[in-house]
Amino acid sequence: MSGADSDDESIKILSASIHDIRYFTVLLRGLSFSDRASLLVNSSGISVTVEHSRTLLATAIIFRPLFNEFEYNPEPESNPPSPSPSGAEEEAEEERSTGFDIPLNIFIDCLNIFGTAGGSTIPAPSRKLRWKPPNTDENSDTEGNNQGPSNGGSNAQAKKDSANGRIDQYFASEKGTGMRLAYAGQGYPLTLLIAEKANGPTAKCQITTFEPGEQLILDFDESPTIMKIILKSSWLRDALSELESLSCDKLTIIGNPPPPPGRAARLSAPPRLRLQATGPLGSTEIDYPNDSEVLETCECAGQVRFSYRFKLVTCAQRALQSSTKTSLRINEDGMLHLQLMLPAPRARSSDMSAFVEFRCLPLDED
Amino acid sequence: MRFRTNVGNIDTFYKILQTVEKLQKRCSIKLTETEMHIICNSDVNEGGIQMWSQIRVPSMFIDYRIQSNANNVILLTVSSEALVAAMRSAATPSSSGPGTLTKKGEKPTINFDISISTRGGRRVRIAHDVPIDITRTQEIEKLKEPLCPEPEVHILLPPLARLRTVVERMKPLAGKIIKLSGNMSGCLTLSAETEQSRVDVSWTGLSNPDMNEDGPSQALRRANGEELPARGPKQMYGVLVSLGSLQKFLNCHVVSTTTIACICQNHCLVLYVYVGEVANRGGVLTFYIPAIIDEGP
Repeated sequence: MSGADSDDESIKILSASIHDIRYFTVLLRGLSFSDRASLLVNSSGISVTVEHSRTLLATAIIFRPLFNEFEYNPEPESNPPSPSPSGAEEEAEEERSTGFDIPLNIFIDCLNIFGTAGGSTIPAPSRKLRWKPPNTDENSDTEGNNQGPSNGGSNAQAKKDSANGRIDQYFASEKGTGMRLAYAGQGYPLTLLIAEKANGPTAKCQITTFEPGEQLILDFDESPTIMKIILKSSWLRDALSELESLSCDKLTIIGNPPPPPGRAARLSAPPRLRLQATGPLGSTEIDYPNDSEVLETCECAGQVRFSYRFKLVTCAQRALQSSTKTSLRINEDGMLHLQLMLPAPRARSSDMSAFVEFRCLPLDED
Repeated sequence: MRFRTNVGNIDTFYKILQTVEKLQKRCSIKLTETEMHIICNSDVNEGGIQMWSQIRVPSMFIDYRIQSNANNVILLTVSSEALVAAMRSAATPSSSGPGTLTKKGEKPTINFDISISTRGGRRVRIAHDVPIDITRTQEIEKLKEPLCPEPEVHILLPPLARLRTVVERMKPLAGKIIKLSGNMSGCLTLSAETEQSRVDVSWTGLSNPDMNEDGPSQALRRANGEELPARGPKQMYGVLVSLGSLQKFLNCHVVSTTTIACICQNHCLVLYVYVGEVANRGGVLTFYIPAIIDEGP
């Protein structure tokens, strides 16, 4: 199949490569709650957007420095109908962009074809159905690097030693699975070449692309921000997963202004941030204390209270799992804006950290 | 009809039985003076996969004795699950005594006599009686391995555990069918295609063993006298197989050391899995996976 790359001669709209796909995959996995993703390519990078129920919009922007190689040649002929998300027509004028839709889960499955795209997220439940005899080599267990409490228990640990040689081989190969991404233009598939190592197997994936659909536009900056909180992602993640187990359908976010000075007032004051989940079985509240250890910053002038569909807010869980810091903002119309910082791997400079953003409309309440 | 042996290589034997169990609920075992054949050839297997294995007696058994009216050949069918259960007792790490396989003539069972030592150092005897059906002498002749044409390609597969990972990952990207193709220049490709994607995973630099010396199957032995058709070394030959049967085959990655795949284009895929170290070839598990003929759109 060495001759398969001969069509590389023609000019590609997009041609990019990454030496280690793990961080890239983590970013995409944060959006994998929806299968259809819209990709928007311009000279500064790729933005990936998915939506849910016409109410939630999640975007990961993968900036150019994250790629080891990035080449974008806008289509020479008339500008294709720009599907830019924020309706920034004037921006599209000065900067060309190309948009297309792909099945996101297929894309992630392709990236992880060698099981080397990192297992920082929960494996899909269907994978757990796999037969696993007590003697199975651990190296076939691709999710084995997250060291979770595997059902194998101590027995699996004992067996691990016997297959040690091959495990080492597996871990060594996990370093730096590279990929090359190419898109030739409308009607062409997105081509993905993945190589595990120089002499290892290579995978060539062709993913069907679709013309970009009509995109939901949620502009957070349309109305002024009335609440702004920065907190560690783990605080939010743990609270959401706690509430998730109670099968709630509505999540209310309540923010309160800082308490007036004075010790007594501070003790009796309402919490700065409260998450209230309501479901058929009752309601649960989680309060965040007014402590800079928990809420790094918390700005709100008056009481803020908006409700969201719980299911939509938990779409952010996957991205929360790999993120360190979260900025939570709500504007006057009640639109929720979550910006999650996903730290780049150690080897790279921290300013390359990428963000995943979620924008969610509130529930209409009387 | 008498049969008695000690299982010397409990671990390997257990792993082989595990592979068998995943393949078929009941299997046939043909015992001869020099070899043990475990055969899974049920028609209802997923994708029509069959397994024929040859285990050399000296590599697996100690004090092997067999006696029967049919040239000292015994053919029996047995529940593979029960065999695995019996061997599981023997395969505990603390087991010291060899498992014993005896077959008493009067009532058709295989008795496993296992002695293990507990953590306290005490010895425990475990006995498993596995009921079996003895096949009549005339039936033995009827059992024949499938006949395959001369394969276009024979190629050494990459480590099966790695291959299994890839096939597992390809599962959501494939329908029920996966294509395996290879050539005589060490190239192997697995392809999966759906409406949404097309994926080819290729290995290069694999070796193409010379199978003419002592091929383990009749298909290869036949090749000796035949004129080989001229084939370009780069020409890819492929076969479409069911993903399920390929995965069933890959369950044997626990026993495999070397695996050779033979591709008979549009006919079948034959896989020879060598058990044990290279120096001491304990046996061969031969898998036959019939091709799915693509009718085309």
